[in-house]
Amino acid sequence: MPDINPLRRQVQAKIRKLELLSSSGLWVLALFTALSIGASRDFDFFPDFSPEIHKMLGAAPPTNFINWALVLYGFSAIIMVLTQMTGSKRPRGAFAHFGYLSAFYAFYHFSGDLQENLWAIFTVGMTILSLQSYHVWNYYKDKIREEQEILAELDKLLED
Amino acid sequence: MFNNLIARAIVPVTIAVTGFVVFGCILLYTFIKSDMTDEAILHVDNLAETVSKSARYAMMQDDRESLRNIVSNVGTLTDVGQIRIYDQGGRIRFSGNPEETAAGSTSAEIDPWVSRMMEPGYAERTKTHHDIGGGSGLISVSIPILNEPKCSTAACHFHAANEPVLGFLTLGISSKPLEKTLDLLRSRMIIFSVMVLFLTVGGVAALLRMNLFLPILRLTYCAGQAVQGVRAKDLPKADNKLGSLERDFRQLVQQRDDALQGWQTTGSAQADTGNGSTIDSRLGNKDAGHQPAEAAGPGQNP
Repeated sequence: MPDINPLRRQVQAKIRKLELLSSSGLWVLALFTALSIGASRDFDFFPDFSPEIHKMLGAAPPTNFINWALVLYGFSAIIMVLTQMTGSKRPRGAFAHFGYLSAFYAFYHFSGDLQENLWAIFTVGMTILSLQSYHVWNYYKDKIREEQEILAELDKLLED
Repeated sequence: MFNNLIARAIVPVTIAVTGFVVFGCILLYTFIKSDMTDEAILHVDNLAETVSKSARYAMMQDDRESLRNIVSNVGTLTDVGQIRIYDQGGRIRFSGNPEETAAGSTSAEIDPWVSRMMEPGYAERTKTHHDIGGGSGLISVSIPILNEPKCSTAACHFHAANEPVLGFLTLGISSKPLEKTLDLLRSRMIIFSVMVLFLTVGGVAALLRMNLFLPILRLTYCAGQAVQGVRAKDLPKADNKLGSLERDFRQLVQQRDDALQGWQTTGSAQADTGNGSTIDSRLGNKDAGHQPAEAAGPGQNP
């Protein structure tokens, strides 16, 4: 009978990796919360852009446009995460969502209406990232369970 | 298993619906607040414009008493918090509060916001300005009273033609009614969101329980009964909500019953050799044979 210890170690390493991945959604949530705290202070810890950079960036889009873009983004992102969940697909795009939400904070900041719309972005961001995090956690917990079953079979073989 | 299944089904729906409803309410509140503030600004602008036109006419007629009367009357309106007419230097000439005029107060002493606009070097001195949500609790407008040819050439007047601004009119209406309406709107939205949350969670849970979990629990109960030896015809009736799964299960139990009956029939001829016990042991049935549902016990049916 071949030595199955290397295979066992491989499975154990995979379980450890999956456990790490299962909490990745929470890390993104924590990152977004930190960003939101910064936004609530109107990013006063960052240095101001020079007038040249402001001129290069141009005028910020009207707040109304950003609001509608946020509604569209929020709706489609929630549908997308729910579709991933129902299809049991590998979760992806948490960092992309974090990027989009940061861009919304930046747009509102430059249009001067960040404080008025802070709670709207925060709510939609928490909703999307909580769903994503829940999906990540469920997906990797299932994978861990599969690997643990394999490990249990290998242990049985070792005992025999 | 079911707790896990219920959680898996309800948690995402709850997060998605509640999150989007709360987000929608917040955004809607922001839109309504912005619209209502714009409406209040329009109202204060119209009021200030009316006073400004009346003041201009009274000044052309050199009728200071009428002007004082207009300002005083507008100042008595319930939602008007302040109305003042300043001269070029920022001294109050007419006010809704006569004490301010009598004391000869200046803008710097009373209203720093207006004072900044009256500075001679201020670039936007000739433009209308608004102050919303300042510390005063007023939605205010400051309108410059501009010099016109017929004004500078009037016999009664002493302003030079090159003086662009003759004075300033400031008018502020209380923002309390607006804040009260917005507070009411906010509390109604919170109640609405909570209701949506309960309805969503309750509705999804009820539908899942009725259409999925109860049929699965019923099938689990039937499977338990079948394992204990209850025959297919003695099992509780099917509600067919699980479709082919339920049919196939009953067919399997029926096939087992038929096989068991076949074994027993053929085995009866060789009863003396004791084959019956072998059949029972092969089926893993400790009770050795069929039982009616009542005898099999309650199982796990909730």
